[in-house]
Amino acid sequence: MEFPKKIVETTEEIFSTMIFMDVSADAPLNQGKQDLGCHVSAMIGLTGGFSAMLGIHCPETVGLAISGAMLGMEIEEIDADVKDALGEIANMVAGGLKERFATENIDLELAIPTAISGKSYTIASPTKSNRIIIPFSIEQGPFFIEMKYNLN
Amino acid sequence: MGKTVLIVDDSNTMRKIVSRSLRQAGIDFDEILEAGDGQEALDVLAANSVDVVLSDINMPNMTGLEFLKAKSEDDAIKDIPVIMISTETGADIIDEAKSYGAKGAIKKPFTPDLINETLGPLL
Repeated sequence: MEFPKKIVETTEEIFSTMIFMDVSADAPLNQGKQDLGCHVSAMIGLTGGFSAMLGIHCPETVGLAISGAMLGMEIEEIDADVKDALGEIANMVAGGLKERFATENIDLELAIPTAISGKSYTIASPTKSNRIIIPFSIEQGPFFIEMKYNLN
Repeated sequence: MGKTVLIVDDSNTMRKIVSRSLRQAGIDFDEILEAGDGQEALDVLAANSVDVVLSDINMPNMTGLEFLKAKSEDDAIKDIPVIMISTETGADIIDEAKSYGAKGAIKKPFTPDLINETLGPLL
């Protein structure tokens, strides 16, 4: 199903067309990696051909840089605008996956994104899921796109 | 008299990006109004003269499709053109939107050129 390839393609498209930041993808992390050192996350659910939770996780400086670029202004702290901006990225990445999987006759529906922030938090899935974490880098540092999924 | 656009999206960030993209596309509106969901959009249309609407689909409270349907049933506003801007641009959803009067659709992520190409003919 080429999850990593589809995630990288759609993320790069979003950053080049709407955020105007150079972004590069690195090799997916091992599934055992848990602590990503991030301070703000946005997640969105996908259902249909498979069930999934897609998330974007950012350290504070990276979240501020990305949301500032999207809004065209300097942002100094994690606030509602930062969470809203990252929620939109999660929404667009999920939308890109939906479009790409539709070409393989796999239909997906998207939920509405949610976001959280804090100095230390853990996101847990209630069921045993497959997990992909792809690190990306911008000038200000790394961020991560995570996908937990269960094939139906 | 200048033209007015209404941008409908539950994301403040996306409303700002659409507004910026209009400027980058060289489309100058005298007034840019905003609404956070379909019901707010109906309220704005009832109180203002609007030339064109750019609307998201996947929104809480009242979705873009529900907004289109309600708008199509109101003689006072049904002829105001609407372009959908959404991650949801599958053929079935767009066909439903067009059945309620939508004039076109722009997929997120989008470029200013795509905005100009889609919106330009309506102005």
